[in-house]
Amino acid sequence: MSPLKISHRDTATGPVLEISGELDYTHVTDLRERLTTLALQPGQRLVLDLAGVTFCDSSGITALIAAHSRARTAQADIALTAVPTHTMHVLRMVGLDQILTISAQT
Amino acid sequence: MCAAGEQPDPQDDDRNGADTASFAALLEDSAEELYDHAPCGYLSTLMDGTIAKINATLLDWLGLTRESVVGRMRFTDLLTVGGKLYHETHFAPLLRMQGEISGIAMEIKQAGGGRLAVLVSSVVKHGSTGEPLLIRTTVFDARDRRAYEEELLRGRREAEEARRQAEADRARLQEALVVLQQSLLPDSLPPIPGMEAAAYYHTASPERLGGDFYDVFPLGGRRFGFFIGDVCGKGPQAATLTSLTRYTLRAAAMHDADPVAALTTLNEVLHERYAAGGDPRYCTAVFGTLEPDPVSGRITVHLASGGHPPALVLRSQGTAAFLPTPGGLLVGVVPAAGFTTACTDLGPGDTLLLYTDGLTEARTSEARTSLYGDEALLAFAARHAGEPPRTVIKALTDLLHSFGDGLDDDTALLALGIPTTIPHTKDS
Repeated sequence: MSPLKISHRDTATGPVLEISGELDYTHVTDLRERLTTLALQPGQRLVLDLAGVTFCDSSGITALIAAHSRARTAQADIALTAVPTHTMHVLRMVGLDQILTISAQT
Repeated sequence: MCAAGEQPDPQDDDRNGADTASFAALLEDSAEELYDHAPCGYLSTLMDGTIAKINATLLDWLGLTRESVVGRMRFTDLLTVGGKLYHETHFAPLLRMQGEISGIAMEIKQAGGGRLAVLVSSVVKHGSTGEPLLIRTTVFDARDRRAYEEELLRGRREAEEARRQAEADRARLQEALVVLQQSLLPDSLPPIPGMEAAAYYHTASPERLGGDFYDVFPLGGRRFGFFIGDVCGKGPQAATLTSLTRYTLRAAAMHDADPVAALTTLNEVLHERYAAGGDPRYCTAVFGTLEPDPVSGRITVHLASGGHPPALVLRSQGTAAFLPTPGGLLVGVVPAAGFTTACTDLGPGDTLLLYTDGLTEARTSEARTSLYGDEALLAFAARHAGEPPRTVIKALTDLLHSFGDGLDDDTALLALGIPTTIPHTKDS
């Protein structure tokens, strides 16, 4: 089990969360909590960098949806970047690639 | 004696002598005094048990006078009925055999009618030629110890009782969960004229109500509706979502059986119920209809998918293929979601197989990322193509069992097919 690591940095366009580890039932609470307390201004773009994500199940998907709602509530934008192949497969399966902006780079 | 840090005194020997004297003064009690008022009871008996000597401490505990005891009572007269019996059967024989016995818990009678818990030790005194002369016995007050033991026993009884209660509660809860789980799934699949249907539900954990669901039901005329899906989360909250989803889909289908319309209604209901209140919950689902062609006997399948793994079609010729539904969105996430449709028709020997991702995401080794996957499932399906739905479900059930601990999610399976020899039914 690799625990979830989340590091936070601020850029000109908004906060970037670099997430690594397993986005599963056991670990996803950390991300949900981090999202709740995240400062997000209207017009900013929240970027979730998933380069280090090794596993993503339906709980992980729920967290990404929560991130999407969080951004909408804050009138901000959200984008995923560096999405690993396996996670991309899951995102396509559930259609989230249509409602989340997915970019190749930060 | 030197106090700590004091220099050795050349007069040490003298001082030692003085100390010994002062100790002796402190210990002024004679051996007789010590015997009589020791903090335990002493008694000596003849070999037949007649009490020859007893100390004041024990007399005090007993509430008896020396005159009434010495030469008049035997040791066993001091014991309760149970104590007498124990003395007769264990204590005395062991003492005779070993010459000593120690720490035996007994109760002695007090003059006032009370009982006193004691620990009894005895040793036989032998004469110069080795013949037994008398028995020396010490009696320790064991009230505190007994009270402590009783407290321990009471604690243990209470713990046992609490455990029994917890187990009973757990069993009741388990029963309630099983009933609730069953309410989320059809008791049995309805007979579909000209078709065979089979389903299987694997519950990963009885405590965590699962969120997978399926159903098959008549739509009027000769049409039937079916669905399968997977709600997010686990436990009672997931169960309420499953329940809402199942009944919404059934009711929606009664109104308009078009698959996209049914999923759209479900999406609106879930979004309004949860996401609008800031608590997004969603499900993946495939909804479909079965429409028989009375002339050809073939069945047309229309289905729509919202974020659910693609259905498989197993053909009578021994091939299998996914029925792709890419781009359908999870149901309940956004107000206006798009769903992807697909259509196929089934002939004799063909089977439509629907499943939830517990199957494809089952772990095939210790590694978290080695999952069973779509390709393995497709190959497995091809090996069973041409078999009737019940046989396909049986094979998949065996496959699920073979995953062992690797299968840690609920899994629903639903197979709908046309048998090669159409069974005679009342409707046909």
